[in-house]
Amino acid sequence: MSDIEERRLEKKNFSNRLLFIYIFFGFLFTYFLSKTYSLQVSSFSDYEIAALKNKTREVLIQPRRGIIYDRNNNILVNNIPSYNLIVSPSQILNPDILLKNIQQVISLNSEEQTYFFENFEVKASLNRELTIKKNLSPEEIARFEVRKHKFPNVFIDERFSRQHIYPHLFSHAIGFVGNPNDDELEKILSDQNHKLRETQFNYSNAFLLGKTGIESIYDKELRGTFGKKVYEVDAKGKLLKELKFIAPLPGRDLKTSLDINAQKVAYDELDSRRGAVVAVDLDTGEINTYVSSPTFSANKISNGLSSSEFDRLLKDENKPFFDRAGQGRYSPASTIKPAIALFGLENNIIDWDYTIDDPGFFVLPEDGRVYRGWKKGGHGNINLNEAIIESSNTFFFSLAYQSDIDELIKHLSYFGFGRNVCKDCFFPDNGLLPNPQWKINNLNFGWFKGDTVNIGVGQGYLSATPIQLAYYASFLANKGNLNSLSFVENNIDLKVETFKSKNINDTDWQKLHDSMIGVIENPKGTAKRLRNLKNYIIAAKSGTVELVSTDTKEDYKIIREVEGKRDHAIIVAFGPMPNPKYAVSVIIENGESGGSVAGPVAIKVLNSLLKK
Amino acid sequence: MFLLSQPDPDFYKNNSLIFLVSSIILIIATFIFGNEINGAKRWLNFGFFSLQSSEIVKIALPVFLAAYLYDKPLPISFKNTLVCIILILILTNFVRIQPDLGTSLVILVAGLYILFLAGLSWRFIGVSTGIFLLSLPFIWNNFLEPFQRQRILTLFDPTNDPYGSGWNITQSKIAIGSGGILGKGYQEGSQAHLDFLPETETDFIFSVIAEEFGFFGVCVVLLIFFFIMFRCLYLALNARDRFCRLTIGGLSLIFISTVFINLAMVIGIIPVVGMPLPFISKGGSSLLSFYISFGIIISMATHKKLMQR
Repeated sequence: MSDIEERRLEKKNFSNRLLFIYIFFGFLFTYFLSKTYSLQVSSFSDYEIAALKNKTREVLIQPRRGIIYDRNNNILVNNIPSYNLIVSPSQILNPDILLKNIQQVISLNSEEQTYFFENFEVKASLNRELTIKKNLSPEEIARFEVRKHKFPNVFIDERFSRQHIYPHLFSHAIGFVGNPNDDELEKILSDQNHKLRETQFNYSNAFLLGKTGIESIYDKELRGTFGKKVYEVDAKGKLLKELKFIAPLPGRDLKTSLDINAQKVAYDELDSRRGAVVAVDLDTGEINTYVSSPTFSANKISNGLSSSEFDRLLKDENKPFFDRAGQGRYSPASTIKPAIALFGLENNIIDWDYTIDDPGFFVLPEDGRVYRGWKKGGHGNINLNEAIIESSNTFFFSLAYQSDIDELIKHLSYFGFGRNVCKDCFFPDNGLLPNPQWKINNLNFGWFKGDTVNIGVGQGYLSATPIQLAYYASFLANKGNLNSLSFVENNIDLKVETFKSKNINDTDWQKLHDSMIGVIENPKGTAKRLRNLKNYIIAAKSGTVELVSTDTKEDYKIIREVEGKRDHAIIVAFGPMPNPKYAVSVIIENGESGGSVAGPVAIKVLNSLLKK
Repeated sequence: MFLLSQPDPDFYKNNSLIFLVSSIILIIATFIFGNEINGAKRWLNFGFFSLQSSEIVKIALPVFLAAYLYDKPLPISFKNTLVCIILILILTNFVRIQPDLGTSLVILVAGLYILFLAGLSWRFIGVSTGIFLLSLPFIWNNFLEPFQRQRILTLFDPTNDPYGSGWNITQSKIAIGSGGILGKGYQEGSQAHLDFLPETETDFIFSVIAEEFGFFGVCVVLLIFFFIMFRCLYLALNARDRFCRLTIGGLSLIFISTVFINLAMVIGIIPVVGMPLPFISKGGSSLLSFYISFGIIISMATHKKLMQR
């Protein structure tokens, strides 16, 4: 092989091999170009969003919560400012000197100093604010304000706390706020199309959520809308500049139907006894008074309560957290009698002239069981009017005995028993309106005639809450027309519920009202002692809830040695007659006498509402 | 570059051994006197600038191999092949243990390019490829540093760990992708200027170009590289002798490989290996080595012999 031949061969070989590699790179080149194309053109919007997300940081701004007013525009719950001393660490060159200078104006304890130094570097590198001291006193604020020019990067910032003006009066009605848990927080934010992220708080307690009462029911209205600031950030998360600002919208102020004065009267009259008072405006169905006793300080629950104090409240035998007004179940006792009377009239079992002979007890024909009245020897020959005034049990045992249980239950349900009667109460209990089906399901016993007889005097399985009893009283006062109860004004869209009756006319209602007036005004009335507590006419029906069934007064004397076994005192009342404006229900646990123990409370609340 | 383009190619051919030996001395000096940065000893400090000695090896080795092989008859004997391969492996390993995986791989392929272009037998290529593939697991376990393994693993699923080792690739893709067709404008790249993108002046400069000048800018840059690539091909095919052919071919392939490794890295096809984009990335040593390469290439292109031997 000649040299030339070899050289040509070598060159050809080289050329082929180099071309081979170049073709390989040519493919790679095309591949890279197409890959870049797909990144930059096909998937552009995805990556554009990703880059935008990278460089922006949204900071939520907490809105101010709505103020809660009573019906006379008195503030019940407000946002009370506290003042914090805050610094922008990224502007500070020497933290030691700064702190020394601040100490000359506002003293800091060692905890505050440690917090300052531990967080200074981080906050500075991220361009965040650092709180030096919380809850400045007015003197500290004044001292700082006059020397403000010396501290260009230190300022005083306002933070709010949610405060009841009357910390004990509305603890159950309005309730309290607390921190939402993670799920609740996510829900609050997602309702407003936000995600959980860094937040600039307006409240010292960070995120707020109504936990009970009106604060909970109207939380959405009260809470307001989060605003936001959008910042440009670098890879470390340092805030560089503000790009966008959307101001938060404060929550709606809420005007409630509650009345401070009547609430205070009810609270004072209950005087920490176990019980409840509910009063209702008859024109609108608005709740003016809603007290459960004993109670607790809503402010302490919201803004910090020592665990021992909380423990004490939780273990208190009187259960201060329990909302007796909305959730306490009590037998209506004799207060049920007007409703039973209406059932008798409606179904033509009795009329106003119908009389029975009351020997003081009723004997159930089926088994000879004896049902006793409260008055030994009975009330003699009495008609319906007298039976209500004197609260004859025998009359109503006998009436109930003649009633069909299913019809009776349907009838009682009109009056609010066994159902929710309140639009915006916090977890109201429905009480218990028992029927044969309920008894077989829950007690595994069939319905006895005696069970129906017991309902006639509001004892036995039947139970109701104070708010249901207030509804019941209002229903009687309004002659069968009533809105659902509510804590806020202007219930325009509410339909008026009408008692569907065939045989009850206005005269019957009038007579019933007269009988209930007689309960106080008649010398034989069970609540006649209330007559002098007022200077206008009130209709009422008192009751005494037997907790332990006894045959004789002597037996009861033994029972009442234990306070918890004493009868509950109960009364429903409305006035002024003949054109009633307010109705009220009062329960005092183990108070014994509806007329003389619960009665005065009811009268004083009505006095307050009527400004008499 | 201008200076190095002046001597006749024979100057490089005759002194190739000296170049190689000096570069090896530099490498060894690096191990002894080198500055340690991030656990790697790659730089020799000369006071006014620090030199990454592996960048010099990257030139010296192919030039030496070309000079060694230019007069060997075809096909290249097994003995010569072995000499070359051993030399390549020794130098590659020197750089690998610095550790500098990227450059060591370039040195490895640079040597292999010359061997291949010089006429390495296909049978040898086949057999050694087979052996290489079989020994991959062994290499994985014994020759790679844990962080290097992590980089390779990240490649297969960068989203698995977006703020850890996949961070660089993810941010680079976001930078490139968000550039769109025309880009965000000069100095307007948020990825680059808000520090989301690492090494914006060196390894990831291409991402910055893509972000700020868009697909349009990418095309311009790639076209320039494409032009250089084919100009080199032309020069190699028309070189005056075998030494020049091999040298131009080898050096230009190193250049092209470097470009492609960098591109593949920033668009997330291969792991982050620390490879600059030639002539664009900041970095004295890399720039210097490509100036030397192209100086040599220009010297070979301009010094044509009137008569072919």
